[in-house]
Order: sequence, then C-alpha cells, then structure tokens
Amino acid sequence: MNFILWIVTALLLTFSLIKSGRKTAAALVIALKKLADLLSLFLLIMIAFALVVTITPPELLQRWIGSESGIRGVIIALGLGSVAVMPGFAASPLCAALRSAGVPYYIIAAFSLSLMNIGIITFPVEKRFLGLKVAIVRNLLALPVCIIVVIVFKVVFRE
Amino acid sequence: MKRSRIVHVVIIICFLLFTMISRFYGYRVGVEAGRAFWSIFEEMFKVMPCAFILIGLFEVWVKRETVIRHMGENSGIRGYLWMLLLAGLSVGGLLVAFPIAQTLYRKGASLKTVFIYLGFVGVFRIPMTVFEISFLGLPFTLLRLAVALPLFLFVGTVMGAVLSKRDYTLNPEE
Repeated sequence: MNFILWIVTALLLTFSLIKSGRKTAAALVIALKKLADLLSLFLLIMIAFALVVTITPPELLQRWIGSESGIRGVIIALGLGSVAVMPGFAASPLCAALRSAGVPYYIIAAFSLSLMNIGIITFPVEKRFLGLKVAIVRNLLALPVCIIVVIVFKVVFRE
Repeated sequence: MKRSRIVHVVIIICFLLFTMISRFYGYRVGVEAGRAFWSIFEEMFKVMPCAFILIGLFEVWVKRETVIRHMGENSGIRGYLWMLLLAGLSVGGLLVAFPIAQTLYRKGASLKTVFIYLGFVGVFRIPMTVFEISFLGLPFTLLRLAVALPLFLFVGTVMGAVLSKRDYTLNPEE
C-alpha cells in the first residue's frame, strides 16, 4: 500500500515538474515547512505512545477486556483506544490477536473506533489546528458515535 | 525558535538518551520503549513525506474556485462524495488529517465538509479498511462502516453548521 502511495506521489511530482519548475519548488517548500513545523510535536506524541505501550503489560489487557468484562471492558477499551496512537496497519493485526484471545467483537469495535476517532495523546496537534474548544467538542462528539457502534455490534453479533 | 519547540526538543533528546543508556545497561523498559518508538516512527515516516508533498502540490495547483465549487458552502452532495473519496485515500490517521483539513479549509472548503472529512477519515481509509477485512472479516468491517459513516456525516454536518453560525475560523494563528 505504501508503495502505491510513493508511486502516485512521484508521478504527480513529475507532472508538476514538467508543467512548472517554479510551482513545484513552491509546493515542496510548503510541504517541508508544514512538516518541520509539526515534526517536534509528532515525535513527542510517538514518545508518549511508546512509553504507554511499554508500561502496560499484555496480561492485564487480557483480563481487563476479556469476554467476561462487559461494560467495564467497553469503557476500558474506549479509554485505551482514545489514548493509543497507532497506524491502521498495526491496529488490525492487534484486533485480530484480541479476537483470537476471546475478546468479543463489540469490545474490539470500541477499541478500533476510539483508536481512529478520539485522540488524547494527539490532542496537542488537534488543538493547534482546531483551537482548544472545538478540539474538545470534536472528541466528545466522537464518543457517542463509538458507543452507538458498540451497541449495534453487541446486538448484531449477540456476544 | 518558539520556547515550546525548545522544550519539545529537550524532551526528545532526553528520551533518546534514556533509550540508549537503557540499551547499554540492559534496562528492559527503556529498551522496549525505544523499540516501540522506532517502530511507530518508521510506520509514520513511510507515509508522512508523501502526505505533505501531496498537500504542497494541492496548495500550489488546485484553484480556490475549484475547491469552493466542489467542497464549498453550496457544494451539496458533491462535497460529501469528495470527502468520502479524500478520506478513503488518506493515510496516516488523524495526525495527518488535521493539516489536510486545514489546507482544504484555507482553499475554500466549507466547515461542514471539513468536519465530515475529519469524521470519515477515522472510519473509511481504504488501505486500512481492506487490511481490516483480511484480519477481522467482511461482516465486522461492513457493520462498522454502515453504522459509523452516517453518524459521522450527521456529527460533521451539525458541527459545521453550528460553527459557521458562530463565525468560527480554523486555525486563526496562521
């Protein structure tokens, strides 16, 4: 997948270069500026993530969100998903691993939805773009969406 | 350099020193934290440069009028479809979605479409979705999309409408 992304980017960059070198240079300057601007914050977030992941032991996870955990399991899964920062490619195998460890689908849905839509560790970045209030509101509104999805999963899969 | 930036850099250097010293003395938590950091670093930087180059190209080449026509206040259903497509093609999760949303907004996309994008991007990134199907099965993914997409469409529309009324602007400092 990443391979396709690089090819598409390279192709577009080549087209751009053929049409106008000046504009392409401007585009690259914009890209570099934006990346440089966010880089230290990004790295900080990754550090926070690395520390959280390392300090939480996997056995605890199993007990917290196992098949018997019920509503408490959902709440913990939502909390973990909100805190974690993970590329989609790492999340799916993790969810599959949870599944084979007996974690019910609705708890996996709670984790995966909140992982992708609620960001506590990524909040500093969000605050910079949306402003404090709107960033909080966006996260708070994403929470009921996650909960509704969890309820539907619970009903449909009957676990 | 801003002061907050200096604080960030100091923390980053401390962390890197911590993992190196941990490795030297065989301190398990430090070594594992270092490994976790580098693995997510690698994942992110496989997509980050492309995402930002594409943002740059978009800013330079796509005309403001075009964005307004397709994603602006009166774009209607076309705006929603664009957001679905853009979210589907997005990479890197929310971290990258915010700069993309900002770029769209500055080019004239309406607040409504921007917030719908931010909702969609969490649930409908195509690479992630395909990957998820292979791991958790089609029923799981279909159900997730069927429930979450309409809900985020609704939440985004409401947020956009309310914020437009309050004359809210995205990222005023730039």
